[in-house]
Amino acid sequence: MAARTKRLIVLAAVLVACGAGSTLQQSAAQQPASQSPRRIVSLVPALTEMLFAIGAGPQVVGVSSYDEFPADVKKLPKVGALLDPDTERILALRPDFVILYGSQSELQAQFARAGIRTFVYRHGGITTVLETIRDLGAATGHQAEAAARVRDVQGRLDAVRARVKGRPRPRVLLVFERQPKTLREVYVSGGRGFLHEMLEIAGGQNVFADVDRESVQPSSETLISRAPDVILEVRAAGLLEEREVAQEQGVWSSLSSIPAVRNKRVHFMVGDYLVVPGPRLAQATEAFAAAIHQGARK
Amino acid sequence: MMSLTAQHISYSHGRPDFALRDVSLSIARQSLTGLLGPNGCGKTTLLKLLAGVLQPDRGEVHLDRRALAGMPRREVARQIAVVPQETHPAFDYTVMEMVLMGRHPHLGAFQLEGPDDLAIARDSLAATGTAHLADRSYMTLSGGEKQRVVIASALAQAPHVLLLDEPTASLDLGYQLEVASLLRRLNRERGVTMVLATHDLNLAASLCDTLVLLQDGRVLAQGPTRDVLTPAMVHQLYGVDADVTFHDRAGHLTVVPVGRR
Amino acid sequence: MNEAILVDRAHASQPIRTRLALTIAGFGTLALLTCVLAPLVGSTQISLARVFDRSIPFEQNVDAQIFFVARLPRVLAGALAGAALAAAGVVFQAMLRNPLATPFTLGVSAGASLGAMLAIIFGVSVSLGPFTSVPLASFIGASLATALVYWLATSPGRAMSTSVLLLAGVTLNSFFSALIMFVQYIADFAQVYRAARWLMGDLDVGGFEPIAAAVPLTAVAFGLFALLPSSLNLLSLGADAAAVRGVDVVRSQRLAFFSASLATSAAVSLAGPIGFIGIVVPHLVRLMVGVDHRIVLPASTLFGAAFLVACDLLARTLLAPVEIPVGVVTAMIGGPFFLWLLVRKG
Repeated sequence: MAARTKRLIVLAAVLVACGAGSTLQQSAAQQPASQSPRRIVSLVPALTEMLFAIGAGPQVVGVSSYDEFPADVKKLPKVGALLDPDTERILALRPDFVILYGSQSELQAQFARAGIRTFVYRHGGITTVLETIRDLGAATGHQAEAAARVRDVQGRLDAVRARVKGRPRPRVLLVFERQPKTLREVYVSGGRGFLHEMLEIAGGQNVFADVDRESVQPSSETLISRAPDVILEVRAAGLLEEREVAQEQGVWSSLSSIPAVRNKRVHFMVGDYLVVPGPRLAQATEAFAAAIHQGARK
Repeated sequence: MMSLTAQHISYSHGRPDFALRDVSLSIARQSLTGLLGPNGCGKTTLLKLLAGVLQPDRGEVHLDRRALAGMPRREVARQIAVVPQETHPAFDYTVMEMVLMGRHPHLGAFQLEGPDDLAIARDSLAATGTAHLADRSYMTLSGGEKQRVVIASALAQAPHVLLLDEPTASLDLGYQLEVASLLRRLNRERGVTMVLATHDLNLAASLCDTLVLLQDGRVLAQGPTRDVLTPAMVHQLYGVDADVTFHDRAGHLTVVPVGRR
Repeated sequence: MNEAILVDRAHASQPIRTRLALTIAGFGTLALLTCVLAPLVGSTQISLARVFDRSIPFEQNVDAQIFFVARLPRVLAGALAGAALAAAGVVFQAMLRNPLATPFTLGVSAGASLGAMLAIIFGVSVSLGPFTSVPLASFIGASLATALVYWLATSPGRAMSTSVLLLAGVTLNSFFSALIMFVQYIADFAQVYRAARWLMGDLDVGGFEPIAAAVPLTAVAFGLFALLPSSLNLLSLGADAAAVRGVDVVRSQRLAFFSASLATSAAVSLAGPIGFIGIVVPHLVRLMVGVDHRIVLPASTLFGAAFLVACDLLARTLLAPVEIPVGVVTAMIGGPFFLWLLVRKG
């Protein structure tokens, strides 16, 4: 997948060099079709966000069933997602560029046969996210904006690092899923992936940093023995009513020996920006920092 | 006094071709009655109706003048026992366990077998000559042994009436004679009323003092064996030309089919 | 005709009362010991002295919290679910006259799984007393499946035919499985993972509420089980053979069906569909005590409790700190067990 992307970049670079007098500032309409896609379909919500962030929004003609952000995507046709991509619908949109998942290899082959460029989503940490923004910028002819976005994000992350430097680093448990109103089936961030990295940048010490996995499902016993000082519960959506939040917070009271529970440091955060590995991860990191260090300036 | 009577019973189970129509019969106490007829004529169904396992659509079955339908199942089971054609337990019970199951109607809801029940069970095994098999697994027995154990299990119910469905159908000749003589002995020594459903004319002739002939779900004839078992009846029932003669050495009637007519 | 699996036993015709008393004493002790010792062992080292040290306030006593809040409910859930599934297995096997029947044969677990899937995928968040969404939805699904099978297999006043029951169960299993597949297809990836995880079983109930929800249901089921044992032996001979020995077949079958379905529903709603308990435990017990259901039922109940608690112990300590789902452990034991039975038989 990485090789393919790099090939696309090399191809783009070669074509740019060969094109007489072409510069990076050429508008999309003037660039040869092979460099600048005009009809993009994206099956990956995080990458859709990136497209809009780097100015390729107008080229997007179809998104996945799970796309929510930005608001513009709500008007766009939905073409399925990881398990149920609707090939017919995608083809009916006459795309010249399709973003899909690495595991969708058959789909990739189909599009290759149809002569449609594909871009494969690589899952990884913050570095991978930023690389992907740049790669998308190159693939869609928005290198400058992509670079700018990446600098923005890096700048904001650096700012957070600076703010939390020197402060004590509490042990944090980052919960991103569990059964409602009970402490069963708790899924937390392990020591790998963008959630973990955001947590660490925000000045927290992931209590499961030693587990080299993105997602861990700890038992009640493990939760008690890891004894986090702060618990962050992040959700993409739902839990908007205060009463519900209070109820869910209350569920932790049975594990009262956990310092986070005793000291009432269980924080609920809701918003899809928190769990999408995309351009808004700086915002998420800032939110983490605020919750962890309660009172830190935004 | 009549022991077990069926009065104008009809039964169809929703299938008009498999029906018993207006069957009336009386089984005298301590008699050995044979229920004869071709396969499919309703013998097994009639036995089930006589045992109270099935309820007739019309008519009633009476045990000593009491309607079976009104009696609790346990009480019926204390009087009437059935030896079915085949017994296939789903689990590997021992012979003793199989026989003890016959004590169920005599036990209370949460009662377990006591020494009395064990004694009765052993006695039943002894009566059928299977006492030495008590701890063996039922499934490992030969056909004849299995049949005798099932009879023992029925005997353990201490019934007054024993209904048997083709008791010798799957047995070798030797075992056939064994079971036949066992039944005769039980009838004579313990006074157990018996009703035998069979298509084996010679078995019926050797064992039964009374016969009931069934054809197409109706009673063709019933009465003492020597009166009912005639060439004419055999022909009417089976469409076969047969000689029915008294065999001196055997000591009973024998039926020898000669040809189809 | 189903072949019973032959059992090698040198059985003296000991009076059943003695055997029953000895069996209950023996298995009861085993179950008790397992339940008492299991909370002492786990992936974290705890000190028993600290656990029971009253001088430390509960909120600060990590050892006590691990023992009383994490491990004890887990052990109790395991005992409850194990006992319920093993007993249900025995009852279904007798009723269906097939030693290979399981509590899941008639589709109860498929219904429970569908209920749980729907709750997970639609992110339902309700609670009814001690019942939270997923267990509640799971129980409703199981009850629906039970009702459907009952309706398909019963005619008024008639005994249920075992072949019709089995067919109804197979039908329901297929139907619900198809629905489950469909629901998973339209769900998003994370939810599909959670659904798959639920199907592997999970005894980590995290508190006493889920147990409080399951206890009344299993208590009713066990109360009904207590009425069954003598008729189970007879039912396993066949409906006619049982009727002729004085069993009210219609009543006994319905009692057996509902009590076993209720026990299965409660266990699956509590802990997910943990497989093999309902078939391995009755088989092992029969190998030890014979096939008389009056002994096998109580023995399996007690042994089932001990067995599942032991499996869960393995699940949470074998690869600590990673936990193996308990259903995986029971499957890894169950598979080879049946292979061994098969080889033995040959």
